[in-house]
Amino acid sequence: MSTLKQLAEYVEKGKIEEVSSLVQKLLGDNISADRIVSEGLVPGLDAIGEKYSKFECFVPELMVAAMAAQEALKVLRPKMSEGTLHKPMGTIVIGTVAGDVHDVGKNIVAMVLEGSGFKVIDLGVNVPAASFLKEVKYQEAEILALSSLYTPTRLAMKEIIQALKDQGIRDKIKVMVGGAPIDQAFCDLIGADGYAPDAPQAVKVAISLIQANK
Amino acid sequence: MKEDKTYKDRRYRIDELRAKNEKMTSRQRTRMAINFEEPDRIPIDNWMVPEIKKRCMEYWGCESEEELLAFLGVDVRDNYGASYVGQEFKKYDDGTVDDLWGVRRKVVTYGKGTSHEGTFKEVSWSPLEHMKTVEEINTYTRWPSPDWWDYSKVKEDCAKWHPQYFVLNKGDRLDRTAQLKPMMYMRGIQQTFIDLAANPKIVECIRDHIINYFVNYNPKVFEAGAEEMDMFMMGDDMGGQQGPLVGPEMWKRYFAAGFRKYCDIAHKYGLKVMFHTCGDVYALIPLMIENGLDCLQSLQPTATNMDIKRLKKEFGKHLSFQGGMDIQQVLPLGTREDVKKMVKYAADNAKSGGGYIFGTSHNIQADTAIENVAALFEAYHEYGVY
Repeated sequence: MSTLKQLAEYVEKGKIEEVSSLVQKLLGDNISADRIVSEGLVPGLDAIGEKYSKFECFVPELMVAAMAAQEALKVLRPKMSEGTLHKPMGTIVIGTVAGDVHDVGKNIVAMVLEGSGFKVIDLGVNVPAASFLKEVKYQEAEILALSSLYTPTRLAMKEIIQALKDQGIRDKIKVMVGGAPIDQAFCDLIGADGYAPDAPQAVKVAISLIQANK
Repeated sequence: MKEDKTYKDRRYRIDELRAKNEKMTSRQRTRMAINFEEPDRIPIDNWMVPEIKKRCMEYWGCESEEELLAFLGVDVRDNYGASYVGQEFKKYDDGTVDDLWGVRRKVVTYGKGTSHEGTFKEVSWSPLEHMKTVEEINTYTRWPSPDWWDYSKVKEDCAKWHPQYFVLNKGDRLDRTAQLKPMMYMRGIQQTFIDLAANPKIVECIRDHIINYFVNYNPKVFEAGAEEMDMFMMGDDMGGQQGPLVGPEMWKRYFAAGFRKYCDIAHKYGLKVMFHTCGDVYALIPLMIENGLDCLQSLQPTATNMDIKRLKKEFGKHLSFQGGMDIQQVLPLGTREDVKKMVKYAADNAKSGGGYIFGTSHNIQADTAIENVAALFEAYHEYGVY
């Protein structure tokens, strides 16, 4: 098995220590950070995402795989910016909306998006609309990703979309929504651009939103 | 009950249907249902956040919560178990307070200044989160003890509902018999998921401490009051919106034995066992039945694989159900017609042969309009009749 394939397998299995040491070895062998991400981390996350969507694995397995990829990225990211070839696939500002302090689902989504090559700015939980707006402008983000777990707090998503309109930047950014009480109908109802039921699908939605914007 | 015309008019439909349909006590009705017999109508259980209870009382002119439940035809009455008499929970300068497990919690307000404002107690600090070894976890001294409770009032608390009502011993939401939930509180949700995949020894250690508490606490509660109870409820969120949080293999490995112990203790005292879990647990249901479960609660219809028609068809011979009414989409966002349709669907597909209790998939939340709550209960009485 090639070393990059081996790395993908370690990521898929969530073997954090093995992933870290193999990344070091690959860098030592002069494999570019860019290639390690695209041929090691991304296929590993894709594989676990595929299994997750088929109910062959569950949240714990997905979580450790995402964490393994995230650990590797800590080492790889500074090196990725060195190359002119590599640019992040897009910038995503993510957070749990005001009034809601649930973060596990949002964290998994952030980790998997990051592992898949996006630049992710995670504002945490209970984030006021004003903070999202400020960060979106400052980061020139392509996507704003909003999470909530609790049904009454999801209404804050609508307020954030309204605030984007009020500030005249709604057409400059795509809004993704997710979380237990969110579905496609709610997404359409509040005028968001994309909904994903889980982290692997969030990657697909994010990619299609970025492409649609080009 | 307030007797002004407005209230009487609002109550008329439910009063009328109940007078026509009801031929037995709540307790008889519910006991028949969980024993897979058809009573006069489908029994009703009620889960509401306090804000909705208050609004309902105002709407129907009820002067107490009990008046509200009695008017709505709610058949189940909750018993919260023993009274806490342990040391006062420590309060901290940052506004957090210890809970039973030594987890620090703070009150979080949502929807401030809106019609759906409410509060809940969120975990703000998990005492075991940063511990690295089993040895370290074993040095933790704040495991709860059955000695912290006074059991002397359990019997009279339950007896006041008997023989009229069906008594469900369910414990407080934060102290309810469980395995995974206290682990998540004490270790942090994210760290618990990591442990489940990568640190089995730590999972087993924390789990065993938790089980040890409940297998000593529950028999004392039952010893004190089981003769005045009908069913015991435990609750552990094992389901996500799309599939179980842990897979069947993992569930078998970590949680099956404890689940069985909990069920066995309640059965020994002649009680049926209900299990609350949110989300999709379809893949775990055969394991739960195998390990002693009598009644599955919540049946969140927006979760994948939790369609009541399918569950009834596949498991309805061995398992009874409570729940199925959607609090995520239909109740807060739907019309009265949507609510009625949802109730009719559940009744049509789950009432045959007993084994079904009406209920919402969780507490009706503060974002739900009173008109939809009214539609829900009217539809219960309209479509629940056998």
